[in-house]
Amino acid sequence: MREVRALVRAAWLTASSYRLGMVISVLGLAAVLLPLYFIANALQPTMQSSISPEARQYFAFVAIGAAVFSLISTCTTALPSALDGAIARGTFEVMLGTPARLKAICAGLMGYQLLWSLLRATILLAAAALLGARIVWHSVPAGVVVLALTMLSYAGVGLILSALILVFRTTGPLGAAFLTASMFLGGVYYPTHVIPSWIRELAAFFPLTYGLRALRQIVLLGAPLAAAARDIESLVLAAAISVSLGAFLFVAALRYARRAGTLASY
Amino acid sequence: MTVTYVPRVASREIRRIYVPPAEPQTAPSVRIRNLTKSFPTRRTPLETILHPFSRERVTVLKGISLDVRDGEMFGILGLNGAGKTTLLKTLATLLVPDGGNADVGGHDICESAQAVREVAAMVSAEERSLNWRLSGTENLRLFAGLHRLGRKEAAVRIDDALMAVGLSDAGSKLVGAYSSGMRQRLILARALLAAPRLLMLDEPTRSLDPVTAHEFRRMLREDIVDRGGATVILATHNAEEAFSYCDRVAVLHHGRVAALGSSSELAARFGENRYRVWTPMPYHPAFETMLGGGLISTLERREDANGNDTVECVIAGDENAAAEVLRRLVEEHVSVSRFERESLPLSTLIARIVAAHDSGRETIHA
Repeated sequence: MREVRALVRAAWLTASSYRLGMVISVLGLAAVLLPLYFIANALQPTMQSSISPEARQYFAFVAIGAAVFSLISTCTTALPSALDGAIARGTFEVMLGTPARLKAICAGLMGYQLLWSLLRATILLAAAALLGARIVWHSVPAGVVVLALTMLSYAGVGLILSALILVFRTTGPLGAAFLTASMFLGGVYYPTHVIPSWIRELAAFFPLTYGLRALRQIVLLGAPLAAAARDIESLVLAAAISVSLGAFLFVAALRYARRAGTLASY
Repeated sequence: MTVTYVPRVASREIRRIYVPPAEPQTAPSVRIRNLTKSFPTRRTPLETILHPFSRERVTVLKGISLDVRDGEMFGILGLNGAGKTTLLKTLATLLVPDGGNADVGGHDICESAQAVREVAAMVSAEERSLNWRLSGTENLRLFAGLHRLGRKEAAVRIDDALMAVGLSDAGSKLVGAYSSGMRQRLILARALLAAPRLLMLDEPTRSLDPVTAHEFRRMLREDIVDRGGATVILATHNAEEAFSYCDRVAVLHHGRVAALGSSSELAARFGENRYRVWTPMPYHPAFETMLGGGLISTLERREDANGNDTVECVIAGDENAAAEVLRRLVEEHVSVSRFERESLPLSTLIARIVAAHDSGRETIHA
């Protein structure tokens, strides 16, 4: 745990040395939320019936979608980008020379970005609540479980992308493509059942589909966890597969980099 | 009056960091047997398309075998590309060997890499491995965390390590504002944090000025090895550094140990005891007498850069023979203002060792 704390602290100090970047990152939330608020309210009559299985208010529906999407984006890209930077700076090799465990180094490398993203998502949802989004607060703990599973599924994808960084020094368009597909097919701005049937089947391959549906039912409609049991089961399966596959590929990629002597090559 | 700031390495703090082991150990700290390592060569896009599954490899370590004793300062001397860095990185578990095996502190580098990292630390001269947006202290705090040191213990160790490398006044400054030498010293302080029993240094004095480099070597030798009881492996292409400060030296050439032995014996056998004597009496018969008597094997008179008369001679034998030459000069009333050993260029030294190695095809043991 000390390793993770030290890495998160160092990342925080580094990020806070770029003060303007931090200010823009927080103020940018308003630029996201306010247009959503006005557009969602304007579309409320149109969307009311289609979102009814998951929410009553379209503004709350998209606010949850935007917040969760920003979190899964971080889960997918934080480790590969931190790893890429650490390799370029030569710090990754030095870290691997210390007694710190690999799991702790990975958690520490993505920890700050994840915490910052969680803070931003919390601020976004709190601001949405202030603007009138109705959230069933007593269901939030159950929602956190679903959110954690969704994030874990995408962290597994992040591990796979990190393996690509270790071997090829690039993820190519894979990360962006997966996130874009998740956004369009996972139901960030509209429920998945409105997607044309010929493409809807693809939505089943993205954990966000199950995560958002379950989360909205629990947090916006106050449904019990049991009501979203099938989605949660799918999420558990997705998380187990992606994290296992990601961990396997990451360890294999690290072994390759140690054999090829490319730990510090950029 | 000009005051020059000379960073003083603080022995007291090093002694606090390095506590000698209660009982001296005699087992080798590092045991390397037939270690080999090769790297794939970089291919052109055309080669990748034409031969996607065949890739040439360049062998960097070709069956290295040697022992480094506990509490010893061991030098690895070689030209660029000899395999010094690859050997150290392999011992530090940052590279996986192709063949052979190595133990560090009794732990196999492949089977027990985690245990190896608990007892050994590698210091590379790579300045970019520091976070330039953080202060020196914050850089060390990060690594104290990675070494799982508690907050109080970390604070003490950081202070001591900064003091030890002469950076206590600069701890709060951003590393980006450090000079190259300061960054080098911070990298060493980072390695000292965990007080590793085996410290592996890869060309540590490369960016240091002569005064700081001397202080640094003295600290390694006296404080970390002699007093602290730690083992130091020093990879360098500076023959003077290896022979003057290390107990034993391995000369690497094209991935092989060309020679291995005590510094004094290797230096005496291959390095020549070439000395320069500053004297206003370069034609004094005492020089010819010693040449005739075999104490001096070659003799050359020349002026130094300032126009002073000097006599350059190769003394047959070790330091005792040099002391004998000086004693005889004094006895013969030859005025000597300076008497210094001339360092032999590494390329010449390596060439001699390699020639001797190639003629026998085996590692030369001195």
